[in-house]
Order: sequence, then structure tokens, then C-alpha cells
Amino acid sequence: MIEKVGIVVRFNIISYFLSEGISNVFKNKKSTFACLSVMCATMLMFGLFYAIGENITNVLRQVESEQGMQVFMVREATEADITRLREELRGIDGINDITPVTSEEAFEIMQNRLGDRRHLMAGHEPTMFPFSFIVTLTDLNLNDSVQYQISGLSNVDDITSRNDTINALANIGGWIRAITLIILLILIMISVFIISNTIKLTVHARRKEISIMKYVGATNGFIRTPFIIEGIIIGLLSGLFSIVLVSIGYTLIEGWTAPRISVNTNINVRV
Amino acid sequence: MIEFKNVSKTYATGTEAVHNANFKIEKGDFAFLVGASGSGKSTLIKLILKEEDPTDGSLIINGRDTTFLKPKRVPYLRRSMGVVFQDFRLLPDKTVYENVAFAMNIVKATPKHIRRQVPMVLSLVGLSNKSKVYPHELSGGEQQRVALARALVNNPSMIIADEPTGNLDPDTAWEIMTLLNEINLRGTTIVIATHAKDVVDKMKKRVIEIENGNIVRDDRKGGYSSEI
Repeated sequence: MIEKVGIVVRFNIISYFLSEGISNVFKNKKSTFACLSVMCATMLMFGLFYAIGENITNVLRQVESEQGMQVFMVREATEADITRLREELRGIDGINDITPVTSEEAFEIMQNRLGDRRHLMAGHEPTMFPFSFIVTLTDLNLNDSVQYQISGLSNVDDITSRNDTINALANIGGWIRAITLIILLILIMISVFIISNTIKLTVHARRKEISIMKYVGATNGFIRTPFIIEGIIIGLLSGLFSIVLVSIGYTLIEGWTAPRISVNTNINVRV
Repeated sequence: MIEFKNVSKTYATGTEAVHNANFKIEKGDFAFLVGASGSGKSTLIKLILKEEDPTDGSLIINGRDTTFLKPKRVPYLRRSMGVVFQDFRLLPDKTVYENVAFAMNIVKATPKHIRRQVPMVLSLVGLSNKSKVYPHELSGGEQQRVALARALVNNPSMIIADEPTGNLDPDTAWEIMTLLNEINLRGTTIVIATHAKDVVDKMKKRVIEIENGNIVRDDRKGGYSSEI
């Protein structure tokens, strides 16, 4: 019997909290609207910056992962030497990917590159091109140490690398990551500030009601709960709106820019 | 019921609002706190309501020393007293019924109990036919009756009223006092801070007078000012 009463009371209180919270959302239309639009705006900004930042970082990461060096072997290297070097390369830290370029492939690339003037290649054998590996890096900052380690391996004739590009990219990447992080942090701080201010305003607008509740003997938790429910509802609604808006905007921007961005890499051919 | 033991209250600004107050209000008492504005009357009410803490001495309410009561326990103390103010303090967007039921919601009463108790209290204050009306449609006296109903609905052991007739004309003020007297006859302790001289003189109840923070008079059946 006592148990039953307890459940009834609790249910009554929960329904009171819910109905108070929900009715507050609709009762204070102006403040709800203000709160909703401010939260939506900050979340939109946040979403946009996050999307832009992520995209820039992604493109950079892609470009970075394609940067690296080409390792040329001595011309007289045998099949066994090639396999051994490949194994040795695999053992070096910081190497992302190893692509072998055979003499035949290099010959073909050269022919294609010469185009109309490919007759210049007549009489030459593919063996004029040494076997090489294209090595990409996991982290551009490791460029120097990887190059140093490779140059110490046997049967390596030469290493070509676009050091300037790699250094510039490593620099830019670091800056962009730092800047997006700072902007996101600032946006989070602004959101927290605006939201806490809006809550203060709603509490201020209802201070009379709150003081009455206190005199009647309401506990702080009892006073707070409808506000929290109201906040959760407004937060969820604005979150939903911003997700919809950001995803629509993102798809539009993506559809417009994707065909205009392409990343190309070229393979060096060396005699 | 309420016992002040050497209670002093000095505000942070340095003003000593109450100096060494000693008095006891027993269960079933009907007491007026009188004094000019700024005499310390309101501070006494605030101390009883636990809105302010005494700087010195101890204040015992319902047999418990509330001087060091934890803030968390204050709401439960307030449930033992009904509070009435000069400006009624009703919620404008709730009907008379809802205003009274609101006080019961706060103490987590069951819907069944609320449905039974609210009409009973409204009939006690003579507003049975106004339960669906909003506060702004009521006269001042009627609004104060609603406030009184709200104060009474949780069956508190005492009613604390701060200038309950301050905004009312003499006739209405007298009606409210008569109502408070009826409530007192049912066993509820009543403490009223006021400077309505004629009402106090007419009621012939206990009068505690405060002047510049000192309790200067405590008459069992007194008038507003002491007879010389």
C-alpha cells in the first residue's frame, strides 16, 4: 500500500515536471524563440567551422600521404637485391606506402611523356631506366630522418624528393590544424556563455515564481528540474535544426566544389 | 513554537537590525510584531523564515535550533509555516485553484489529496465560487484570501504574515484579520508584522514592539502603542 502511494507520487511529480517544462517552452514564446535562434546560430557556426576544418585537414592529409620520395636503385641491382631493399624499406618507421616502379614501367612513362617525340627513344632498351620505389610518408615531419635511413641502405643509388613542398605542407598543415582548433574552442566558449546567459535571463524573468516556490517550501531540485527539462527541449530542438541546416548546406557546397578539387601526383622518371 | 534566545542580527553593511531579542511565541498564539519602518520588524520575519541567519544567539522553531540549519533543510522547515505578504505574490498566469494547488504540487501531494484539499481551503477563505478566476480579476482583499488559502493548504502549524493588510482598505483589512483570527481558533499559530494601528488596537492580542532593533514591549493583550 505504502509502496503504491510512493509510485503514484513519483509519477505525479514526473508528469508535473514534464508538463511544466513543456508548457514553459510554449508559454514563453519570445524567450524560447530567442534562445532557440541564438543556440541554432552558434551551433550552425560551430558545425560549419567543424566541417570546413575537417575538410581542409582531410585534403591536407591526402596530399601529405601522397608526398614522399623516389628511391632509385643502382642499375646492376638483381631481383634479389630489389626484394631485399623492399624488405628493408618496410622496416623503416614513418613509411606509409611503398610502390615499386620497374624499368619497363619507367620506360613506358617516359614514352608517354615524350608523346609526339617518342621516336627519340627508338633503339633504347627499358633497362636504361633503373628500378625505383616510390615511398610515401605517414608524417611529413619524418621526411629527413627517413631519407637519411634510406641513403644508408645498400644498392641505393639516389633519392629524389620535393623537400620544399614537403616542408611547406608540413608547416601549413600544422597551422591550419591549430587555427581550426582555436576557432572551435572560441566558438564553444561563446556558446557556453550565450547559453548560460539565456538561462540566467529566463530565471530572472521568473524570479517571482521562484521566490513563491521557495516560500512554500520547494526544494532547489524541485525548482530547477522544469528549467532543466525546458533547456533540454530547446537544446534538442536547436540541435536538430542545426543538423538539418548544416547537412543541407554541406551537401550543396560539396556538390558545387567537389568537381573543382583534384589532387594529382606525378612520378619522376630518371635516367 | 518560535523562541528567540539573545538573537542579534547585524547586516554586512554594519547596521544592527536586531539587538539581543528574547521572546517566545507558543503554539496557538496570535501575536503582532509592531514597530515603525526600519525598526527591525522585517528582519524578525526574515529570521523566522530563514531568509537571514542570526549573527548571534539562537532561534528555535518547532523545538529545533535552526541557527545552524543546513540550506538543504530550509525548504522542509518552510513547509511547517504558511507565508502571506503585503503584495499577495500570486502567479498571474494561474487560476485561483491552480495557485493554491501549486503549493501542494511543491510538497509532492497526490492528485487525489489535492482535489480534496484545495476546494476545502477555498471554502474556508470564502472563495469557492472564484476557483476558475485569474488573480487580476479579483479585488485586493480577494487576492489576499487566495494567498491565505495557499498558505493554509498544506496545513502548516503557523502562519507568518508580513504586512498582510498593507495594501487593503480598512474594511477589507478587518475582514482578513477576522479570517486570520478564525484560523487561529482552529489551532494555527499566527505571527503578523504590521503597522496597522487600529486593527491591532481592536484585536486585543499579544503585541511585541520593536524599536531600533530592541524589543521594547511584549503585552499579552495590548494595543499598538503602550498606554501611559
